[in-house]
Amino acid sequence: MTNTSRFHIMRGAAALASTVLLATACEMAVTNPGPIPDAALNTTLAVPAIVNGMSGDLSLGLGGIVLRSGLASGELTAAGNFADEGFFYTGTFTGLNANTDWANMQRARWTSESGLERMKTVLGSAFETNGDTPRAYLYAGFANRLLGEMTCTAVIDGGPAQSDSVYFQRADSLFTRAYTLATARSNTSVANAALAGRASIRAWLGNWTGAVADAALVPNNFLFNAIYGIGTSRENLYMAEQTITRREVTVWGTYWATQSKLDPRTPWDTVKTGSTLTKGQDGKTIFFRQMKYLALGSSVPLVKGAEMLVLRAEYALRSGDIAGMTTLLNTARAQYTGLAVLTAPTTTAAAWTLLQRERGAVLWLEARSLWDMRRWNAEGTSTFLTGRNKCVPVSDNEYASNANLRK
Amino acid sequence: MWNRVRHSIRWCLPLLALASAASLGAQQGTGTITGTVVERGSSRPIEAAQVTVVGTRLGAAVNGQGAFSIRGVPLGAHKVRAQFIGFEPVEQAVTLTASGATVAFQLTRTAYALSGVVVTATGEEKRRSVGTAMATMDTMSIARTAASNPQQLLAAASTGVSVLANSGQPGAGATLRLRGVNSVSQGNNPLIYIDGVRVFNGNGPVATGGGQQSSPLNDISPDDIDHIEIVKGPSATTLYGTEASGGVIQIFTKQGKGGGQQWTASITSGFNFQGHVGSKDDETGMWFNKCRGPLNVNGNGVKFEDPSCPASGSWLSNGPIERISVNVRGGSTGGTTYYVGGNWDDEKGTLPRSGLHNRGLRVNLGFIPAKSFNLTINSSLAQNASQGFADGNSAGGAGLNISRGTNSNYKGTGCVDATATCVNNGDLFRSDVLNTTVHFITGATLTYQPTEHFSNRLAVGYDNNNAEVNYVVPFANLRLPLGAMWQTLWHRQMITADLSSTYRRALSDAWSTSSSVGAQVFDSRLYSTSLETDNFSGPGYPTLVSGSTRLINDVNSQRVINAGFFGQEMIGWRDILFVTAGVRIDGNSAFGKSFGLQTYPKISASYVISDESFWPRQYVSSLKLRAAVGSSGKAPGAFDAVRTWDPVAAENGKPAVAPNQLGNADLGPERSREIELGFDLAALDGRINLAFTHFQQQTQDALIPVIQAPSMGFSSSQLMNVGTLDNAGNEITLSGELIRRDNVKLSAKVGMTTLNSNAVNVGGQTLTIFTNGRTYVQAGYPVPSYMGKRVTNPDAIAAPVYEAFGYIGSVFATRTYNPGITLQLYKKVTVEALGEWQLGGHNLNATGYQNANLRVWRPCFAAQAALTKAAAGDLSELGSFTAMERARCTINTAERDYSLWVEKSDFFKLRSISATIDLPARYLRGARNASLTIAGRNLFTKTDYTGFDPESADKTDNTFGRRDYYTFGPYKTFIMTLRVGF
Repeated sequence: MTNTSRFHIMRGAAALASTVLLATACEMAVTNPGPIPDAALNTTLAVPAIVNGMSGDLSLGLGGIVLRSGLASGELTAAGNFADEGFFYTGTFTGLNANTDWANMQRARWTSESGLERMKTVLGSAFETNGDTPRAYLYAGFANRLLGEMTCTAVIDGGPAQSDSVYFQRADSLFTRAYTLATARSNTSVANAALAGRASIRAWLGNWTGAVADAALVPNNFLFNAIYGIGTSRENLYMAEQTITRREVTVWGTYWATQSKLDPRTPWDTVKTGSTLTKGQDGKTIFFRQMKYLALGSSVPLVKGAEMLVLRAEYALRSGDIAGMTTLLNTARAQYTGLAVLTAPTTTAAAWTLLQRERGAVLWLEARSLWDMRRWNAEGTSTFLTGRNKCVPVSDNEYASNANLRK
Repeated sequence: MWNRVRHSIRWCLPLLALASAASLGAQQGTGTITGTVVERGSSRPIEAAQVTVVGTRLGAAVNGQGAFSIRGVPLGAHKVRAQFIGFEPVEQAVTLTASGATVAFQLTRTAYALSGVVVTATGEEKRRSVGTAMATMDTMSIARTAASNPQQLLAAASTGVSVLANSGQPGAGATLRLRGVNSVSQGNNPLIYIDGVRVFNGNGPVATGGGQQSSPLNDISPDDIDHIEIVKGPSATTLYGTEASGGVIQIFTKQGKGGGQQWTASITSGFNFQGHVGSKDDETGMWFNKCRGPLNVNGNGVKFEDPSCPASGSWLSNGPIERISVNVRGGSTGGTTYYVGGNWDDEKGTLPRSGLHNRGLRVNLGFIPAKSFNLTINSSLAQNASQGFADGNSAGGAGLNISRGTNSNYKGTGCVDATATCVNNGDLFRSDVLNTTVHFITGATLTYQPTEHFSNRLAVGYDNNNAEVNYVVPFANLRLPLGAMWQTLWHRQMITADLSSTYRRALSDAWSTSSSVGAQVFDSRLYSTSLETDNFSGPGYPTLVSGSTRLINDVNSQRVINAGFFGQEMIGWRDILFVTAGVRIDGNSAFGKSFGLQTYPKISASYVISDESFWPRQYVSSLKLRAAVGSSGKAPGAFDAVRTWDPVAAENGKPAVAPNQLGNADLGPERSREIELGFDLAALDGRINLAFTHFQQQTQDALIPVIQAPSMGFSSSQLMNVGTLDNAGNEITLSGELIRRDNVKLSAKVGMTTLNSNAVNVGGQTLTIFTNGRTYVQAGYPVPSYMGKRVTNPDAIAAPVYEAFGYIGSVFATRTYNPGITLQLYKKVTVEALGEWQLGGHNLNATGYQNANLRVWRPCFAAQAALTKAAAGDLSELGSFTAMERARCTINTAERDYSLWVEKSDFFKLRSISATIDLPARYLRGARNASLTIAGRNLFTKTDYTGFDPESADKTDNTFGRRDYYTFGPYKTFIMTLRVGF
């Protein structure tokens, strides 16, 4: 090898070494503005967004199951092409069909419960006096109530299967905390919502006396909603999307289609193309549009005074007081415009029929009916769910990923 | 990662360049080397053979008489190399004086795999020394196809290459795979290098409503391509580093040449056409072929009428094609060379208002700034605009509405028959899917060869992709009366710096060595914004502020950097045996904290056993044995490692957060290791060539999206390194000259590829790739597979018996055959045909699934009528229907399932057929040469698949699985091209 070639080689090697050195010394950071790192939420400034997030996740969890539990409980008829909706309508839904709703409802529970833990850490001694804390407890309570009413089995944070009543027990505690803290801060709306929420789950836990006591404290015209919006698609109400933008579900074919479409509690209407009744998205099922939620941003009631009156009416019936039941039902009806006064039924069976219809009307398309049908079916006062799935099973995804669960 | 980068990669680039800077020498006196190149034995001229002065960019092509002339060569001693595909390259020493030098070459035919050079990560290597299979497409075969873009060129071009067209949407990109799939979550696109510069290898944004993505790869004009090299597996791509496990495609564009200026102009005219759409049992072609007449009736006997149906009675028409291409190449020998090419393409699709308009400009410059230095600067600018139609899983889609007959979402007026359902599908073509792209690529490659033994190469590149995709549904649309508009603005950049040095020398008469080191930095950036506006106030072409509702649906801004370096040592023995060992070390800013640099080793051997003295060359003239083991990898997404929350709105517009992803700090790249064995054989004086390759890949630490327990809050999947995937196969190419006479040459080839993928372990779960596509990955089955409810007695004349969840079939083809034939007559006429069978794959015909339920799937009409009667107690007509027919055409809503419509997607397509006639130049004043090519693509298809097309897939559904959900199929093309050289 000549000296010249050695020089060239050495020069090349030096250049390469320099390059490698420089390359590896280059700034290797990456950028991805947008997502928020978990640790960045550990600040008091983030608390409002965390609690709003609880509300948003509750709305998201409720939004889908309002429609699908409506199909499962006879409030709606499938009129489209979506497979999951078809299985809910026929009462044959499985863990595969439950993946979306299970995940959304569980996320609503987890974000509120884990958010409360984060708030305790971040706020410290100011936790109980923070204005957002009662709301956080309230959303956690409603998320647990939703799971308790809709699902067959309780699973908490990747744990084993438990009785569905576990959700109600957790909700009882959460509603109580919400009520206590809201009352202390004179937040009447949250306090009443907590009372109303607790009233219902206490009834489901068999504590009817406690339920009625709470319910009686809730004003007859009280209303507390899950909030939706049109600003972003995540805030849209799924029910509205599937009945306003699309025609995936219809009131046609249900009991409610045989009732007056002018009942303010269960409004629906026909839709026509020219003189022909419009069909659903499947092209064959007649489409009657629900008129309760007319916009993508329509709110869905979580609790209301009329529900409390119906709850108290049910307790009256369970106590054998048909006249008292009828009075309470009429008070509930008086919260709406144009409803005639009911006369008291003469038999217990007729009383149950009336009560179930009235409760069904008050809570129509609010994701409450499937639970009502389920508990009444268990007690023998309703046969609608006989031979059908009565609650949302643990999702396939939960089974596939939760080591504490085994099919 | 949320902090903006304080120090940009930009300052690195000039420093990288400076790092290899060296002093430039001065020019000296020059002369001309002339000579001839002929075939040994026959003494036939080898036209188009390349003759180069070793160590320089000086060279020339051999003319029809076998002569060449290289001007501007520095005086002194040189080595001159002659080479041509299919011949053993030869080097001769010459001493050039002022009066010139002459050299005569005789080249010996040899196996294709032993001839010429290929470009590897370390630079040019002799093909005979490479221990892995590589495929090359040359200029001549490129020119003879009717391909309008590189993806079409690659279809059926080589074993191991799969190109699925996806759609007949103008400008839609294809799905390109080399050796199948070896990654579940990280994509399987091969890396793309253009003239040594890495460019973005993914697809553009999906148009809302359009259902397809454009491919930036297709922005390269085929007329500008000199040749393409295909590097298939991890054993061959190790030195390309992380992300290279899907293979590498290298495109080399035409370069300038010393000597006279050469112009080439081509003009192409032709048309696209569709043929019959869907099942041959549906004579209306899903009402695309016939949109008027007595067959406009659904399965319930309900008639429909469409007054907007074109006068021809069909939605389909021939879409004219016009293409013009002009390029010029030339330069001064020993000085600056240039290639400048421009192309202008205008073509229409087969549905109303669809088409595309492409314009491109390429400027490739070559310089010899000083002795030992070469500099090439290659730049291209492509500006494309396509206008399509809503398609796929879109409520306003052409496929969805036209094929649904009575159930179109476009109900209208103007019908004559008052008893018919009145639809107005013409209205859907008033909506526009517009895709405008501007793609600029520039790269500079500086080579420095101070001695014959030592070469250095520095390449820097910049790839800039811009796309604007709009879906505009105008005011007064029948489906959305107030209209809407979606827009995606997308900007992709990739900056490349690539340095390598190789030192080659002979250690003795027998032994030689080649040592290489190199380093690369890739900086990839993405900026995209998705916007929407709804509810226009009135007519007129809208903008994003025309609607009363205005939404920002998505904003993306990411930057990822990958840097690495490699070393390689090749030992050669008597130019017969070559053993190469190398290692690549990579760092990637996407890795989790627990992972540092990644090391990918490789070793390969090439043994040209036929050059041994004991070899009986009379039987097999050449045989190269090769073996390789190597690794490559794929990095996870830049931000898959960290737990994040999404900023969202809640409570009607208030700021909120929602769980985004769980995060996994231990995340690292998945590693694919491949063992490859094979041989390249030539017999009968090179007339028969056989190449065989067996490969076995295993992807370890496969990045699997593991479902998290929804009760833990984060319901989205989290990537984890938990899987093991196997992917094995064989590639066989047999080619031969059946007739070799002066005036007739007939050659044929057949390529065969088998692929056998298998999920060994996917974290103990059945991975859902796409629920409504019934696509899963499960241990013991191909990756990915269709699974779900299946009929266990499909061919029985009986009621279907169902298995609730079972394996149905592989998504991708497991066997591919590519037969081809070339006939050359009188050296003037070349007829070439190339076909492709893809077998063993499946596709989900979701169109059939939906339309059967809607009673508008004509092939089901008879079965559904029989099932309806049967439901009423009359079983008389059921006897001729199989269990599978009854299952698919079921009238029981609860019985239906997507998985019942997974069909075999086996097909044969005549990918290209062409006839090229070399016209006598004397008929064209001033012309150097001229040719006329008549060509067709996909003119013939044979398949039993009943959906739109076995290649159809809606890209909005999933990037890994496939689903034909009202996806209009790819069209056929017939063109005629006149090419003239001056």
